[in-house]
Amino acid sequence: MMTALLELNNVSVSFYGFKAVQELSLSVKDGELRCLLGANGAGKSTTLDLICGKTKSTGGDIRFKGENITDLPEYRRARLGIGRKFQVPTVFKDLTVTENLEVARSKRCGVWQTLRRSGVRMDARVEEVATVVGLQDRMTAKAGHLSHGETQWLEIAMLLMQDSKLLLMDEPTAGMTMGETAKTSEILNGLKGRHTLIVVEHDMSFVREIAEKITVMHQGALLAEGTIAEVASNEQVRAAYLGSGGFGHA
Amino acid sequence: MPKRINKALLVYVLFAVILLVVPTFVGGDAYLLNKFSRYLALGILAVALSLSWGYGGILNLGQGVTFGIGAYGIAMYLKLAASASNPGGLPDFMGWNNVSSLPWFWQPFHHLSFALLAGIGIPVLVAIVLGWFMFRARIVGVFVAIITLAMLVVTNLLFIDQQRYTGGFNGMTNLAILKVGPVSLDPYSLTFYYFASGLLIVILLAGFYIVNSKFGLVLRAIKENPDRVRFLGYDVAIYQTVAFAISGAMAAAAGMLYAMVLQFASPTFMGVALSLSVVIWCAVGGRDSLLAAAIGAILVNALQGTLSNQFLDTAQLLLGAVFVLVVLFLPRGLAGISEVFARKAKRSAPAVVAGAQATGRLKPEAPDRKPGKHAEVR
Repeated sequence: MMTALLELNNVSVSFYGFKAVQELSLSVKDGELRCLLGANGAGKSTTLDLICGKTKSTGGDIRFKGENITDLPEYRRARLGIGRKFQVPTVFKDLTVTENLEVARSKRCGVWQTLRRSGVRMDARVEEVATVVGLQDRMTAKAGHLSHGETQWLEIAMLLMQDSKLLLMDEPTAGMTMGETAKTSEILNGLKGRHTLIVVEHDMSFVREIAEKITVMHQGALLAEGTIAEVASNEQVRAAYLGSGGFGHA
Repeated sequence: MPKRINKALLVYVLFAVILLVVPTFVGGDAYLLNKFSRYLALGILAVALSLSWGYGGILNLGQGVTFGIGAYGIAMYLKLAASASNPGGLPDFMGWNNVSSLPWFWQPFHHLSFALLAGIGIPVLVAIVLGWFMFRARIVGVFVAIITLAMLVVTNLLFIDQQRYTGGFNGMTNLAILKVGPVSLDPYSLTFYYFASGLLIVILLAGFYIVNSKFGLVLRAIKENPDRVRFLGYDVAIYQTVAFAISGAMAAAAGMLYAMVLQFASPTFMGVALSLSVVIWCAVGGRDSLLAAAIGAILVNALQGTLSNQFLDTAQLLLGAVFVLVVLFLPRGLAGISEVFARKAKRSAPAVVAGAQATGRLKPEAPDRKPGKHAEVR
């Protein structure tokens, strides 16, 4: 039996009285690919923020690999193996693609370790990752000069370089073409098993491609959990989504 | 891409060669050599700011703190050396201020090695403590500038106030000439000029190594988006503190050299005017390059010297006009000139290429598909 890699126990957070996430409990197994669904404002991104440390929870606790990480700053969580891809692709625009990938290669992130290394290294790993996302011909381009789709790829490539155990992906296919989306699902499927993924996505055909288990959130709380079929037939889910025009428009 | 580094290094080597051949054109004019040595010391100060500001995004308006402490560190040694024949070996200003015996913390400054160690070590310590408090608290941008500026004013006042030990407003004058073994570093000599050039070149090369290491790369990433760097696992505060401290060490070395060139150390070294000027030198030269910052410092000071000889008070006005022009037309400083030329060359190149690049820069490709808001579960 697989053990839980990540556990959220009754985690809450409120911003000036507004409860963005309420008593959320979630358990993600090692090697799992979990999809997080919900309408706008359901608290999906906030949940990812809580896990990676961007937002501090106001209640409950978060455990990663059995360790309580609730009070750890974000860079310590990243070192433990939590990587994040943001909804708005966040890359270093003034740095080249190669440099972005090098910064993302952060296994040795101490000052002495980085002082002894060159800032520009084109090795097999960088080339391999760049080829996976199709940026191998754009290596010397500044990230700020990339198209939107390429920027999305670059951030995914950075996650691959970072090689975190747990990957938190906020709408990885936003703004991508059908072909690009298919390629993304191919990559994510390839990461399953070795990595654990939590993916926030609106695109249901994409979710169907990759998801094993789905968690549906509504107004900051957990609404349902299960396979696509289970979730789609869930009465509560249907009721919650009727108000916003049905599940399909999530 | 090591090719790019090699090319950049070639420019550094070229600069070093120019520095070393300058005296043959000056023809041993002691006054000019001294003036040039002074510019080189200020060049080092600009390199220090370029490292923290241009690469780390830390706008340190209090460079005078580390610069000044470095200057006072070596000045204390040289003052003691010059006061050996005084009663009790006491510096003259202490006599005027009724200090009867050498204070305990002045004692170790009889040794050159201690003076050098303290002159670099104390500023570095100050930078580490200040940096640690600022960067742990995740203070960024203009607030760093305000805090460092306040720190500068406090340090300046402290040195003026402790007249009995620092010489107050006058500082320490009539410093001895530094002698290391058989070598005498007379600030009006060719030897001193080479010493100053050597120090600038060594610091430039050290800086070059740092900014081209992965540390330098992470620093540039931090400048752009510290939060994103944290999510990659880097302890941003440590990186900023280390960069701040290395910059402080460079500024301290510049201060030592400066005190030796002028043969005095005064509170004006920690004045607001000087520290703000460094920002201007970096801006004129180009803060994104250590070498450009050094050249900016040398050029602006040389210009300042020449203009004030020719036009007296009008010089400030002319200098101001130069700054305005640079800021307006060369936002990346003189180092940006090469880019301006490159752009012109591109414009005359086939229009198709230029057009493609222009659009690529202005707007990202339109996504072929809206994010899947309309996908459905059936």
